[in-house]
Amino acid sequence: MKTQKTILVIEDEKSLRSAIVDILRLKNFLTLEARNGKEGLELAFSKHPGLILLDIIMPEMDGITALNKIREDAWGKKVPIIMLTNLSETKEHPIDDAVTHYLIKSDWKLHDIVKEIEEILEIQNLEAAADKLVAIADRPTRNTK
Amino acid sequence: MNKRTTISASDEIIFNLKVLAKGKEIVRRKLAATAAKLAVTAKKLAIIAEKKEGVRRKLAITAKEKEIVRRELVMTAEKLAATAEKLAATAKEKESVRRRKLAATAEKLAATAEKLAATAREKESVRRKLAVTAAKLAATAEEKENVRRKLAVIAGELAVTAREKETVRRKLVVTAEKLKGSYETLEKKVLERTKDLEMARAKEEAVLLSIGDGLIVTDEKGGIILINKTAEKLFGVKSKEVLGKLFSEVVILVDEKGVSIPPEKHPIRMALGAGATTVAGSIYYYSRKDKTKFPMAITATPVILGGKVIGTIKVFRDITYEREIDKAKTEFVSLASHQLRTPLSTVNWYAEMLLEGDVGELNEKQKKYLGEAYRSNQRMVELVNALLDVSSLELGTFMIEPEPTDIIKLAQSVIDEQKPQIDTKKIIFSFSSGKNISLMQADPKHLRIIVQNILSNAIKYTPPGGKIRLSISLMNKNNILLKIYDTGYGIPKNQQDKIFTKLFRADNVRDKNTDGTGLGLYIVKSIVENSGGKVWFKSGGGRNKCTTFYVELPFVEVKKSEKGRSIPGRKEDTK
Repeated sequence: MKTQKTILVIEDEKSLRSAIVDILRLKNFLTLEARNGKEGLELAFSKHPGLILLDIIMPEMDGITALNKIREDAWGKKVPIIMLTNLSETKEHPIDDAVTHYLIKSDWKLHDIVKEIEEILEIQNLEAAADKLVAIADRPTRNTK
Repeated sequence: MNKRTTISASDEIIFNLKVLAKGKEIVRRKLAATAAKLAVTAKKLAIIAEKKEGVRRKLAITAKEKEIVRRELVMTAEKLAATAEKLAATAKEKESVRRRKLAATAEKLAATAEKLAATAREKESVRRKLAVTAAKLAATAEEKENVRRKLAVIAGELAVTAREKETVRRKLVVTAEKLKGSYETLEKKVLERTKDLEMARAKEEAVLLSIGDGLIVTDEKGGIILINKTAEKLFGVKSKEVLGKLFSEVVILVDEKGVSIPPEKHPIRMALGAGATTVAGSIYYYSRKDKTKFPMAITATPVILGGKVIGTIKVFRDITYEREIDKAKTEFVSLASHQLRTPLSTVNWYAEMLLEGDVGELNEKQKKYLGEAYRSNQRMVELVNALLDVSSLELGTFMIEPEPTDIIKLAQSVIDEQKPQIDTKKIIFSFSSGKNISLMQADPKHLRIIVQNILSNAIKYTPPGGKIRLSISLMNKNNILLKIYDTGYGIPKNQQDKIFTKLFRADNVRDKNTDGTGLGLYIVKSIVENSGGKVWFKSGGGRNKCTTFYVELPFVEVKKSEKGRSIPGRKEDTK
């Protein structure tokens, strides 16, 4: 039995945010909503969500700033972040290596986005499991129960 | 009586002699003047002397006849006897004297007469000679007269000529005056004109030097012969320093990345080489001494005189401002497009959830209607994407991220995407590829745009039941060729040169298919050329207006060590 993962949706456009939240809930995710980078940052640090969907152009604090701040944090270093934006990748807005995915909203179906999320989380789970196994394997025998 | 007669005769003779003497005096005086009269007189004298002799003899004969008379006169004669006696004696004496004198005189006269006659003869001959001479003279005079007349004629003629000459001379004088006048006027005019020309030249030069765009004139070898103020300022040089120098030494042109452009690719060389061609509008950058650069539009035109290129004129414009405006414009398009995407995403997502039945099943009609709305929205999304690509390409912010790419797989995925349209139109489609094509270094996103565009064009513009063939093969070690052949509507001959122009759509397809943007091929060409490739096409006339598009791209093979760099699951380029 898989535990429910929490997804933080940082998106200033209400209609888009609602659509994402609706589909995520429908697909059995827990959701957190933030209307800008600043709110998102607070929620991220306080709730430590399993994955973050991050828009770029937002009031108060834009997505790139929020991304950098999250990555500065010890926890935030590893959290998967999907940039979900309508801003095309250009020389002036290169895809930050710090992001896991960079998706253009208008090019992506909601269901495909959910699939991406599920895939990433699965990989993360597998990696975590592998890490555990490695840790168990590495543990000195006398400590083994 | 006889005596008296004798006396009176003697008296007469004496008188006559006196007269003669007197006459002789006169004659003698006049002799010199009138030779002819003298001769006559001399002759008369001779005759008179002879007559006197005769008269005297006759008187002696008739003395007896006159006795009676003499007796009647005795008384008187007696009274007179003494006197007569005396007189007689005197007379006798006088008679002899007179006779002698007369004789002498007569002789003298005769001699004189002879002389006179001789003189007269001489004179006559002289006269004759004179007459001859006179005649001769007269003849000579006549000849002279003739000559004179002729001379007169000649003189007349000469006079006429002289008059004519005079007239001519006068005219010449007048003309000379006039000429002098006009020469002076001319000289004045020349001076004025020269002054004007100098002014005009100075003005022209001032105009040239003051032109707001940079201006450099070179000779046929590229040596600078004129540089205006704006150009001086633009390039940070002084006219004195650069005159005579080669243009390429003075103006260092670089490309956008700062790599200097070799002189043979300078617009000036191209203008000189091409002769009549004007090279205009390209963007070059000029690198200043401090290494900063600015964009510049250069128009280089050859100066042609008598069919020969004698130099070039180059006009430079700092287009920093225009470029900024251009950038602002493109940024606006980018931002606007981004703003357009948000509502499009909303429509997309909600329609999607409805169509997927996430909130309950729809009936068929509802699905159909919503499907229409969804597809239209998709078209809008594509248009915005195309606009964004264009602005990005034009702004130069189009990211090129080469990574090991399997072009065959990529093409296959594009084909799969468009399969529904191919099937709907019942198009016979084939795809072939060379077997030896390995992974290549390329930006898959760009490659996808290229394949997508030319394939979807082929499908759009091929009538149902037509054929489309796509093939990918290696041309050589360094180039790969994509070929898309279709049996479509073709491209009108007169519009073939415009087919890659932004927003251009050929006349023959506008009414057949309304959802083309006129951006696809423009984007393809931009991407292909940005990647160092080429795109071209062949489209036939006639009934079968088949079209083949060719895309040649550099093929950079991926070495094994470079493989596997790509992030798994990265899909931002997927539809």
